[in-house]
Amino acid sequence: MATGRIRKSKASKRSRRSVETERARSTLYFIWRGIRNDPYGMAGALIILVLVICALFAPYIAPYDPQYADPRLRLRGPGTEGHILGLDQQGRDILSRLIYGSRYSLIAGVTPVVLGGLISIPLGTIAAYYERVGYFIMRSMDVLFAFPMVLLAITLSFFMGPGLGNLIIALVVVLIPYNTRVVYVQALAQKEQGYIEAARADATSDFKILFVEMLPHVVSASVVYSMTIVGTIVVTAAGLSFLGLGVQPPTPEWGIMTSDGRTVLHIAPHVSTLPGVAIFLMVTGFNLLGDSLRDALDPKTRLVRAGAR
Amino acid sequence: MLRFIIWRLIHVVPVLLGVSFVVFSILYLIPGDIATTLLSMFYTEERAAMLREQLGLDRPMFVQYGRWLWAALHGDLGQSLMMRMPVMTVLLDKTGNSLILTGASLLIVIPVSFLMGTASAARFRKPFDRFTVFFSLLLASMPVFWLGIALLYLFGVRIPLFPMSGMYNMANPGGILDLLHHLFLPAVTTAATSVAIVTRVTRGAMLDTLSQPYILAARSRGLPGSRVIYRHGVRNILPTFSNMIGLQIGYLFGSAIFSEIIFNWPGIGLQLYQSILHRDLTMVQGCVLAVAIIFVLGNMLADIIVYALDTTRK
Repeated sequence: MATGRIRKSKASKRSRRSVETERARSTLYFIWRGIRNDPYGMAGALIILVLVICALFAPYIAPYDPQYADPRLRLRGPGTEGHILGLDQQGRDILSRLIYGSRYSLIAGVTPVVLGGLISIPLGTIAAYYERVGYFIMRSMDVLFAFPMVLLAITLSFFMGPGLGNLIIALVVVLIPYNTRVVYVQALAQKEQGYIEAARADATSDFKILFVEMLPHVVSASVVYSMTIVGTIVVTAAGLSFLGLGVQPPTPEWGIMTSDGRTVLHIAPHVSTLPGVAIFLMVTGFNLLGDSLRDALDPKTRLVRAGAR
Repeated sequence: MLRFIIWRLIHVVPVLLGVSFVVFSILYLIPGDIATTLLSMFYTEERAAMLREQLGLDRPMFVQYGRWLWAALHGDLGQSLMMRMPVMTVLLDKTGNSLILTGASLLIVIPVSFLMGTASAARFRKPFDRFTVFFSLLLASMPVFWLGIALLYLFGVRIPLFPMSGMYNMANPGGILDLLHHLFLPAVTTAATSVAIVTRVTRGAMLDTLSQPYILAARSRGLPGSRVIYRHGVRNILPTFSNMIGLQIGYLFGSAIFSEIIFNWPGIGLQLYQSILHRDLTMVQGCVLAVAIIFVLGNMLADIIVYALDTTRK
């Protein structure tokens, strides 16, 4: 009995502490806990992990050089000896090209999202804090919103010219209006909070209010949004290369490979469709992971999960 | 209502001005002499001189913009160098085709995602719901251009149910049925991603609604399940749903570019692609402007419809 009581009090102590630490625990903890408990999120994380390993160790994993061509085996289908996924119209090993291709898609998918976030977070916060500047900023965003996402990306990368760098810049510009609006809405809500008023009454400088007080509360919304958009950006980047913009042949990029294979679609469908499967896999991975992170970090869905789901 | 429409119409004007300025100034992103770039392989001294005169390249940028805008408002977007035709003529020719494709895919998105979303929420955690969740997850991750190629291969090459390209049968054009036959695959391709996204959102909204107390009240009063779902549930997600559809218009225009290219659909997207390949700058500019204007107007229309449908406003 006595031990039982002690145990009970210990347990209650622990549970109280866990309530306290719940608040103090970092975002990373919530992310980890959310993914760990979500099979979909776990699957997404696994897919991305495999692709990241492919990208990092491409020369060690790929059986051939991505540019090495064996013209005798041109267009042979999957299952050809030594070439599991077959060969393309120049006789290059598709599996090796796909493995190398993961590099470009990862870079083109993740970099713009990170850069876009770094620009949007201060931009959106400033827009929310200073009304006049904000009016100007948000109206400029409205103009960018007037272009469908893909169209704006096509336009920018066409006029800036080919290359991975320009592709990334184009995608950053495309992302900014969306991410800035997310930050803006969040920052507007923060602005009305008591702690901002308190800081103002305390004669804290605007700079400090913006970047020390408000920013941490705004960042998570932007991060969640960024996580869910990576998949879309991967597709858009591949789509641009598919159109002949962005990364140029003979780079083993998935969009380029899909586009190149179109000419031989009726005789060798694997050349065009396999790279598409790779894009599809990466996007699925990022989407699963993004959804899982959003659910893990959003207190509302956290409740929904506990109850309804 | 009327006030809202007028307010929304007025709101469009500055956005369109901004759009036109972006489209105009984008030419200046290109380093070097604009006349040389514009003419590229068609460059001759005399053509360049004519173009400089025509664009007023020696004037300040804002004067040039003013001239360009004035001409554009009068339907003059310059000459397409590749096609040797006014850009406007080409655009007018292609816009209708693009609208047919996007309209058709919208007509797929609306019923399919609505039915799938509400039905799967009503069968929460039943096999159909699980299937819908999984299916929309896969569909949302498919690159449009890949889906188009896969459909083209499956139903154009392997099982030739549908024609592989174009709008009409060249040898034997056959009116509306022929058009629908050609329209099916590109429209499905264009609609796919949006179907997935809207289905998921509709399902979420419906689940939210079904967990409201008034649904419980209706159920406990003994109303049959279907009546609760379709009269009390569905009505309340209409604003969310129509809003979501409005947001999809941009996606549809973006996806349409790819399916036009893959299925050789003679719309603005295909024109844009060909102009990009030939570096026909004025034509690219025109296509971008056309899609952006249609998109802005489409959004406006969607906003007005959403406003009209939203009964909670009163």
